[in-house]
Amino acid sequence: MEQRIIASEFAEVAVSLDTDANGPRLRIEDLRGGRVRHLDALELESVVWLPEERLRELLDPSAGRWSDRPGDE
Amino acid sequence: MTVRYSELIQPERVHGSLYTDPGVFAEELERIWYRTWVCVGHVSEVARPGDYVRKAVGTQDVIMTRSADGEVSLLLNRCAHRGNLVCEDARGNSSSFRCPYHGWTYRNTGELLGYPYNQGYGGKGKLSLGLGRVPRVDTYQGFVFASFAADGPSLKEHLGAAAGELDRLARLSPEGEIELTAGWLKHRAKANWKLLVENETDGYHPQFVHGSVFSVTGSHIGSLYSDKSTAVTRDLGGGHSENDLRPEFRRMGTPMAWFGTSEAKVPEYVRKMRELHGEQAEEILIEGAPHVMVFPNLFVAEISVFMIQPVAVDETVQHVTAVQLKGAPDMNRRLLSQCVGSVGPAGMLLADDSEMYERNQRGMAARMPEWLDIRRGVGRERVDENGFRVGTANDETGMRGFWSHYRSLMEREDAQ
Repeated sequence: MEQRIIASEFAEVAVSLDTDANGPRLRIEDLRGGRVRHLDALELESVVWLPEERLRELLDPSAGRWSDRPGDE
Repeated sequence: MTVRYSELIQPERVHGSLYTDPGVFAEELERIWYRTWVCVGHVSEVARPGDYVRKAVGTQDVIMTRSADGEVSLLLNRCAHRGNLVCEDARGNSSSFRCPYHGWTYRNTGELLGYPYNQGYGGKGKLSLGLGRVPRVDTYQGFVFASFAADGPSLKEHLGAAAGELDRLARLSPEGEIELTAGWLKHRAKANWKLLVENETDGYHPQFVHGSVFSVTGSHIGSLYSDKSTAVTRDLGGGHSENDLRPEFRRMGTPMAWFGTSEAKVPEYVRKMRELHGEQAEEILIEGAPHVMVFPNLFVAEISVFMIQPVAVDETVQHVTAVQLKGAPDMNRRLLSQCVGSVGPAGMLLADDSEMYERNQRGMAARMPEWLDIRRGVGRERVDENGFRVGTANDETGMRGFWSHYRSLMEREDAQ
């Protein structure tokens, strides 16, 4: 499993092609936070087609990781 | 205390305090560096969406970015929350910037995208804040210029005749574009920024300061600035000046002699240029690149580009990179090696100059004589066919032009 690091001063993630499941997935690991997420082909395709505005919303720190609304992580 | 610039700047001499007085430096920041057009970088440094580089305008820390729609922005590197530096790296690629202090996150256009735990602010999008943006940004031949003044002369007006010199640089590329992609060297000098600017088109010093280099390398550059030279120093107006070496290169009449080489060494480049320009290629290949100081901080020295950054009254950083001609890989290799040889860490030209800048600053600590002399050649100047003042290759015509413009900016009554 060849791992590549994509890093900037703002974030560091390791990406690799995971073949352990029945189909291939992209494995993304947040090297600063330790969390891992797998994205399958359909999810990745959806990211490619995500409207710019929706992607931008994901970058809002309160959109997920640093939310103070009940139920959010 | 009010500085009376009209007394300190005279036609044939300038007062030493202009280089040593911290009060003058503080006023220069406001009246020159945060008002007139200042060169920040080149669009080729942020070629792709998300690219960013850290730059400076005067002592201001600025981020030059390329957004998704291709627009180049100049953002102030200061979080709108608590004033922290948002970007730390010299360069990178990121569509958004996240302040490391509290996580406030900005688009690379400066727009605030969000902040953590937003209920403390009443929810999402409740703050009309963002990164500061330099009010006016414009480009010429890919060079990016900034002006902190919301109104004032356009970049084209500011550049005036100096624009033609940047055109002359760009036309040396077979694709009509230069690129500044070779990376930057930073030379820190304990000297006032104006000493560097004045030195750039001072044709009087090369035979002394660079004499040893010329003798070792057998370079013809020294003779271009001798009293027998037909080259001229030209006051281009607006504080810009040049050493126009074309008369000497035309006299030689040899393509690529300006570059100290022959066409046999760069056959592919010469072929492309002849194919593109036809008969006019000879003129372009003979006349070569400009040697021009664009007020207040962009210096094109044929093969190298310098950006002068004032840090303090007695400290300046000179950023240097090699000119790269788009579509000319064979030339670019030579341009890079020549640039490194002349202004690199072990380069032979800028090391000499830096020594002079610093000795100059130390010398001016002496109380007498109080003035610096800038009269050389004043009695033999002429006005050329375009109305510009011209001196010989080693006259101080460029310096006088610089000081005349400097004075007009520093004396303005509406100065902040």
